[in-house]
Amino acid sequence: MQYSLHFALTLLGAACLAGFLGALLGVGGGVFIVPVMVLLFHLPVKVAVAASIVSVIATSNAGGSSYVDQRITNLKLAMSLEIATTIGALTGSVLAIYLQQWLMLTIFSLMLAYMSYAAFTTRNLDDQKIASEEFAKAAPDRLSRYLELHGSYHDLAANRDVQYIVNGSAIGAAVSYLAGLTSGMLGVGGGVLKVSAMNRYMNVPMKVAVGTSKLMIGVTAAVSSILFFLAGLIHFPVVAPVALGTTIGATIGTMVMNRLHSSLLKWIFTALMAYLAYGMLAKGLAMRFGIYLPSLGV
Amino acid sequence: MIVLRQSRNESAGSSEENVYQDVYRVLLAGMLISSTLFAVGLLRVLLHPETYPLTPEWVRSHYHWRAIWQGLKQFDAFTLMMVATALLILTPVLRVVISIWAFWVDRDYKFVVVTSIVLVVIALSVVLSHFGVK
Repeated sequence: MQYSLHFALTLLGAACLAGFLGALLGVGGGVFIVPVMVLLFHLPVKVAVAASIVSVIATSNAGGSSYVDQRITNLKLAMSLEIATTIGALTGSVLAIYLQQWLMLTIFSLMLAYMSYAAFTTRNLDDQKIASEEFAKAAPDRLSRYLELHGSYHDLAANRDVQYIVNGSAIGAAVSYLAGLTSGMLGVGGGVLKVSAMNRYMNVPMKVAVGTSKLMIGVTAAVSSILFFLAGLIHFPVVAPVALGTTIGATIGTMVMNRLHSSLLKWIFTALMAYLAYGMLAKGLAMRFGIYLPSLGV
Repeated sequence: MIVLRQSRNESAGSSEENVYQDVYRVLLAGMLISSTLFAVGLLRVLLHPETYPLTPEWVRSHYHWRAIWQGLKQFDAFTLMMVATALLILTPVLRVVISIWAFWVDRDYKFVVVTSIVLVVIALSVVLSHFGVK
């Protein structure tokens, strides 16, 4: 690989943009940067996944630390679910090492298609639940009572302290395992799965779910990164611009996120993710079966 | 590391509060140090562009203390970026270790166990890559 000024700077710029877009949608940069590396920079998918997973740690450190500082993150919940996500990451990264490229491209494409659909259908019912104090009324299950996973945080928008009881530990652990597996196999954070599981099934307020998931992503990605690092799959000259770029982009994205109109954003992201899903699928099909779909520019 | 424990005696009121402060500091320090090293490495390679082979064998040939030390002394871009990556990966691992210690100091033994299991899984990834996963 010729490591030219042009290559490094365009990759840095693309990573900035991916991190920025990821922060706007609250999904992290991995979802965008892996397809960009594969489709625009023509890097092997395993190199892209390995570089992306390291940059996922960087954005988790940046985002995760600010949520911890604001006491929004539920540390005990994070550490409990991390058992499931790290085991998932271990499984996922072993799969990533052995799976064929076309299969990884196809699975990535399916994940993007699902996210494109989910981005549009997810409804946030938190405001009503906070107003009626519903989060504090749920009954804990045995495990969440034993581990004392309940918590509270100060919600700036509602201007009040929100108490919540955690339950649904079993389904939470199962989805966390899946999220870890996706993360290790595809080089993404897997936050979307964890956040929706915590919010929907574990009675965790959205903001706490996002902060807790951001923190968990770091350890989860570290497990896969160690495996990739020792296998020699991480290419540091690729990682440097990607990690720096996504961190810068995500920081700016977080700052402007609240000022943007969300329904328009949803349309844009649904379209963008569907487009990238198509691109990844087209590349996978061409690689394995020699079927060439119209490129549509990707 | 010394500053990590400064506040423990001051805010004895809430034990979990200490864990929060420690976790925050580790994450912030890891992010700043690795970002700086990445930026320096990147600047260095931009001034002197190089060709890197994309093979795992070539990457792994740099995993020797002597090679790392030599590279750091010569301000070699590849070594700088490799060390930055390693530090970045170790940040969350250190966060787990510090949490175990903080829970231990706070006598929250249930979470010493929970967090230690996470550390065991991390260790498992090292063991796995040594035996078999190539």
